Amino acid sequence: MSERLKEINLEEVKMSVAPLIDMTFLLLIFFILTIKFKVLEGKLAAYLPKDVGINTSPVDPKEKVEVKIEVVEAGVKLSPFAPAPYTAGDPYDPANHERFIFQFGTRKLRYSIGPQKYTELEKVQERLADLFAQDRERPATIDCRPGTVYGDMVPVLDAAYEVGYRDITFVGEYKPAKPQ
Amino acid sequence: MKLSRTAPPASEEMNMTPLIDCVFQLLLFFMIVTDMTQANLESLQLPPALAAVPDEPDPKIVRPILNIPVSGKVIWRRETLYDPEQDFEDTSRLEAFLANQAKLMPTEHLNEKEGTGPQIPANPLMIRADENTEFKYIQRVMYLCAKKDIQIWKLELGAKDLSEEDEKKAESQEE
Repeated sequence: MSERLKEINLEEVKMSVAPLIDMTFLLLIFFILTIKFKVLEGKLAAYLPKDVGINTSPVDPKEKVEVKIEVVEAGVKLSPFAPAPYTAGDPYDPANHERFIFQFGTRKLRYSIGPQKYTELEKVQERLADLFAQDRERPATIDCRPGTVYGDMVPVLDAAYEVGYRDITFVGEYKPAKPQ
Repeated sequence: MKLSRTAPPASEEMNMTPLIDCVFQLLLFFMIVTDMTQANLESLQLPPALAAVPDEPDPKIVRPILNIPVSGKVIWRRETLYDPEQDFEDTSRLEAFLANQAKLMPTEHLNEKEGTGPQIPANPLMIRADENTEFKYIQRVMYLCAKKDIQIWKLELGAKDLSEEDEKKAESQEE
């Protein structure tokens, strides 16, 4: 009996590694497909008027520098994936990002600081620098009018930041439609 | 030339050990490198800004990141909180989300220097929008933030950190 047992024990048992490899490959494929290397993005700090919806805050006595952004010409939209005009559901867009770009020089904006109007951002920055030199504590506000896009606002915010403004708030005219 | 007519040697089993080693190494690499915190960043074309500071998110701090692509959808961690094509003026879901996030944030006094006034959230809300997203969609979020039961007033606006790219370009030019 003991000899028989010895024979059984001595039989070579091979571990099947195939399922292990399968699983490992699946995990590997998962991580390869989902990987997104850490990219540090930039950010700009801004504020909303603090006392909206609350009546206890005292009125801010400081006069603010208000930069108004208006769209003069909306510009020609192009597909970023092919030299063709942009259409909704861009057929050239491989992942349906709904992205578009403006044809260079076709989009025109107008910036206003008080009564003065500008078409170039450099002039806006110069004016902001002048005003900041007069009063370094003066807050600034950005008023984006209908038609403006995020990419129109950020350069203005950036220009104000570059000049030295830190207390930058947004004023807007957004009003939700009244329920019918 | 005479070819041997003898049978080829019996096929040997392929040695899988180096392959498995290699695959495990790759697996470990990807597991370590993958940063799941980036999953809430949608693929957007952010506008460039010279004054932008690098954003190093702290997972311990409550700072919701709202992504707003060109379509005007408001997306948080792959979940659409508002879709202008379906929800029109109904922002109740987004409003409830913001109110909930505001409750999770630490608070500070409205007049911080004097320590007076009602308590308002002290943490910011990050808005990442595509450079061609209409500003009205961002304004809509801002409008909701200012509501009485939310009152999130600090914002962080996503932008492409241009200063870092410029430095790299300048360095490469110097070399």
